[in-house]
Amino acid sequence: MFGYLGPNGAGKSTTIRVLMGLIGATAGTAKVLGVDVSSRRVELSRRVGYLPGDFVAYRDLTVGEYLQYLGALRGGVASPVVDALVERFEVDPGRKISTLSHGNRQKVGLIQATMHRPDLLVLDEPTSGLDPLMQREFLGLLREFRDEGRTVFLSSHVLAEVEAVADLVAIIRNGRLVTTSDIDALKARTRRRVQLTFADRAAPPAEVLSNLASVTRCSVDGDVAELEVEGSMSELMAIAAPYGIERVVSGNVDLEDAFLQFYDDQEGR
Amino acid sequence: MEASVFTKTLRDQRRGLVGWSIGTAATVLLMAAIWPSFSDIDIDALLAQYPKALLDAFNVRAMSTGAGYLNAELFSLMLPAIFIVFAVGRGARVLAGEEEDGTLEVLATLPLTRSTILVQKGAALVVDVAALAGVLFASTWLSSQLFGLDVSVRAALNGAVAMALLGIEFGLTALAIGAIVGRRNVAVGVSACLAGAAYLVFLAAQLVESLRPLRRLSPFYQAISGGPVDDRLPPIVWCTVAVGVVVFAVSIRVFATRDLHV
Repeated sequence: MFGYLGPNGAGKSTTIRVLMGLIGATAGTAKVLGVDVSSRRVELSRRVGYLPGDFVAYRDLTVGEYLQYLGALRGGVASPVVDALVERFEVDPGRKISTLSHGNRQKVGLIQATMHRPDLLVLDEPTSGLDPLMQREFLGLLREFRDEGRTVFLSSHVLAEVEAVADLVAIIRNGRLVTTSDIDALKARTRRRVQLTFADRAAPPAEVLSNLASVTRCSVDGDVAELEVEGSMSELMAIAAPYGIERVVSGNVDLEDAFLQFYDDQEGR
Repeated sequence: MEASVFTKTLRDQRRGLVGWSIGTAATVLLMAAIWPSFSDIDIDALLAQYPKALLDAFNVRAMSTGAGYLNAELFSLMLPAIFIVFAVGRGARVLAGEEEDGTLEVLATLPLTRSTILVQKGAALVVDVAALAGVLFASTWLSSQLFGLDVSVRAALNGAVAMALLGIEFGLTALAIGAIVGRRNVAVGVSACLAGAAYLVFLAAQLVESLRPLRRLSPFYQAISGGPVDDRLPPIVWCTVAVGVVVFAVSIRVFATRDLHV
């Protein structure tokens, strides 16, 4: 499972559209599954499923009709597979697409991308609009794909989403591939903002916290400590726990920051 | 349900076709209903007041027969306009409309060549225009029977064929422009300009002697000169659809490799 990370506007969707043969490469060539996209797109497309970033389906069709139409254009898709997906994502096949919420449309997009069990699944920001329960169902589906030996190419600007499932991560920034790395390597280097509130106004002295290798920034004000932690938090927790932690607030990593930092780290070597 | 782009496109157009059919049939029936009162007028005395060139342009002098009346009143401007507007609207919508809506993004990643998509859309457009022409044929023949216009089946059919070919030419042009630029408004605008220019050339060439040789270039001359409601359809009428097919063929090549607006 391959995570393709980058801030909005970095060129993720553009890369994907080149890979899907929707637009041509201005220079160089694109190969997917070892096959040249520009000369053998049709052959390739049988083995690929695609969910666009702005997925749009025919508003006047019902969910069932839409999936049937795409299945027919794909040369026939086993209907038990489609039925199972429809049931799994709890979509009503009789509903008109125009009446669906954004999240439900997104589900239809996921179903059409996966229903022919492609060797490669290309997903552009797939979980936008899905409620947390459905996100979990969806990530479960992706893991099944991986376990069956298929490849998933998942683009996102949300680090947490990719972190949860990807094995490999590529980072793109301003149209350039910054790095391709193991997810663990990326995790070890991302910084998180953490706020610890201690019981009985007994925060540990700032020096105790800032001396830890994983803590890159620290300030203590009364019973609240504001920290920036790189990589694992276990060391910090072990030291802080005896002081009586009342509350932990861990901010999501700002991806832009994480990228910049990753980028700087790479440059600095 | 739909098994192909062709049948899906036909389905999409189904609802509009009903409205256009009713409008076209009503127009024909209404015009034909006036004929009995019109045929009583001394037409020659009336027409003597008009300039000769104008009479030629609108083929008005043949109005003493039912077929001539239909040619002058319907098949010289009203019906060509109906067929062109109908076909251009559809031609622009079926592909460029789908590209603008965003539904083309998934369609273009399925195991279908872009040429297949475009050709099936073109075929659906042709069938659609032919269906409207079928309605025109039926209503022409029916109104001739009802109001005694004495138009033969053959003449009614030829009139409908000429309108269909004119519509198909501009419809395919709109589809082709949509396939090349991916913008529905551009496809409609350019096609409408081309149709307007073609009509001006036709009209100017009828009125101005020195422009006469140019008239054969105009699709309007090709389709309606001499009046299409006639037992004989001049071979030049087929030039219309030939031009449409050539433009369409060029667009297939462009569409096969261009960047989609997604």
